[in-house]
Amino acid sequence: MDRAEKVGLGIAVVGHIVLFGLLSVGLLSTPNPEKLQQHPIEVSLVKDVGLEATAPQAVTPPAQSVAPDQGAPEDAAPPAGAVTEPQPAPAPVPPTPAAKPAPAKPAPTTKPAPAPKPAPVRAKPKPAPPAPEKAAPKAAPAKPAASAKPTPATPSKAKGSGSKAEATTSKPRGSRLGPNFLEGLTDKPSTSKSTAPVAAKIDARALASIQQAIARQIQPCADRQVNPGPGANEIVTVLNLRLNEDGTLAATPRMVRQTGVNGDNDRYRQRVVDLGVAAFKGCSPLKLPAEYYSTPAGGWNNINYNWQLR
Amino acid sequence: MNPVFNMDAATMSPVALFIQADWVVKIVMAGLLIASIWTWALIVAFWLRLGKTRRGMARFEREFWKADDIDVFYKAESENTLPSARVFIAGVKEWRRSTAGGSIDKGGTRERLATTMAAASAEEIDTLSDRLNILATVGSVAPFVGLFGTVWGIMRAFTGIASAQNSSLAVVAPGIAEALFATAIGLFAAIPAVIAYNRFSHGVNRIEAALNRFADGFHTTLSRQLDGGR
Repeated sequence: MDRAEKVGLGIAVVGHIVLFGLLSVGLLSTPNPEKLQQHPIEVSLVKDVGLEATAPQAVTPPAQSVAPDQGAPEDAAPPAGAVTEPQPAPAPVPPTPAAKPAPAKPAPTTKPAPAPKPAPVRAKPKPAPPAPEKAAPKAAPAKPAASAKPTPATPSKAKGSGSKAEATTSKPRGSRLGPNFLEGLTDKPSTSKSTAPVAAKIDARALASIQQAIARQIQPCADRQVNPGPGANEIVTVLNLRLNEDGTLAATPRMVRQTGVNGDNDRYRQRVVDLGVAAFKGCSPLKLPAEYYSTPAGGWNNINYNWQLR
Repeated sequence: MNPVFNMDAATMSPVALFIQADWVVKIVMAGLLIASIWTWALIVAFWLRLGKTRRGMARFEREFWKADDIDVFYKAESENTLPSARVFIAGVKEWRRSTAGGSIDKGGTRERLATTMAAASAEEIDTLSDRLNILATVGSVAPFVGLFGTVWGIMRAFTGIASAQNSSLAVVAPGIAEALFATAIGLFAAIPAVIAYNRFSHGVNRIEAALNRFADGFHTTLSRQLDGGR
């Protein structure tokens, strides 16, 4: 190490010490713009995330039975096809001599329960309409059968044997109603009304699934259509469907355009259209998702379907 | 300004970063710091040495071409340590040895003179460019060493995240900052080293060229004298 290197080493050491010293005392550091502060933010953990903004489904529960509840309630069979499980008060009328053992019927919401008309108490039991309950709606004899579990003597302890919570809880008694309170009610199960909100938008996937649902549902009728001639199955007809909200056809499907027509099958054009119309007429109403009936971006109220013979 | 060593995590204090670092990173940082110091020492030394050599050689050659009597000039400069002076001394010594006897082999003398002066020139250049390879090594290796320290430090920071079960920036940032400091020191050492290596190898090449020119000129002079001319 010669003199120049010693000088260089000294200069380098001094320079490094000066530089790192200046850095250490914060000469070049920024004047601490923000101390790394953590601002707490509120976080709510949710399991279900809707990727599409839709309003919650408003479901109107079916009307509650207001039948007097003096006997052991049994579970009423839920009405078939209801979107949500209605809550029919499973309260069979206890077999009093005056009243026939009629199952409590959930009243449809659209129809207000008619006010019970004053009617004479009929001693003779009327045959009850068939009910979706296990309780056999047989015309009860004037005298209650001894095997009838709910005894009118202990109505307050009437408890249901079903599994539903509302069935096993003790029911209030509604003995102030007259025996004719059921008049005007139908024996059909009331359906809960689901007012499915309009979907925010209909995307290509939903549209495709609706097309597939239509194809699946008209398949039986499409299979019945006889191929009128060679080459007719090459014609692809775009049928415009106008549908009601319940899935029925609002109008006869209309031909929009046809493709695949050539010289051979040209004479079958109208026949293919007619066969498609027949298939739709035979297999409607269609069951399609209600939220896509009508959206701002279109829906199945007015939809085109590619009809083709197989 | 804050007085001595601000240990706040948000400031960029090298000492704080060094102290907080892992021991592997500390070793890397210390090695790189030493490399940086050594680099700068070499830079200063080369700068001084090359400048002095270039100026001295220019002056020596000027005086050599002005000198009337080479023997007198040789006596005056026999203790000079400049490369051109060394080449000159080697040439004169070889000349004296070759011309000491009665019969002179002109071709052999010329060859010997050329060889001797070329050897002296090569030796001087060798001495001059000694430790230039250190600059090259630091310039090429220091970034990788710093990167190694950074990778190690970041790995450690991530294991720290895993153990703390907390990935907020305040937990991660200091570890990553001190890890990146290793790369910073590596680049801090490497960049001047690369620049200085290029600069000084160019300077050495120039000195070598000048030395060879001087040796050729001196050889021409001696060769002319061998033929009896002046």
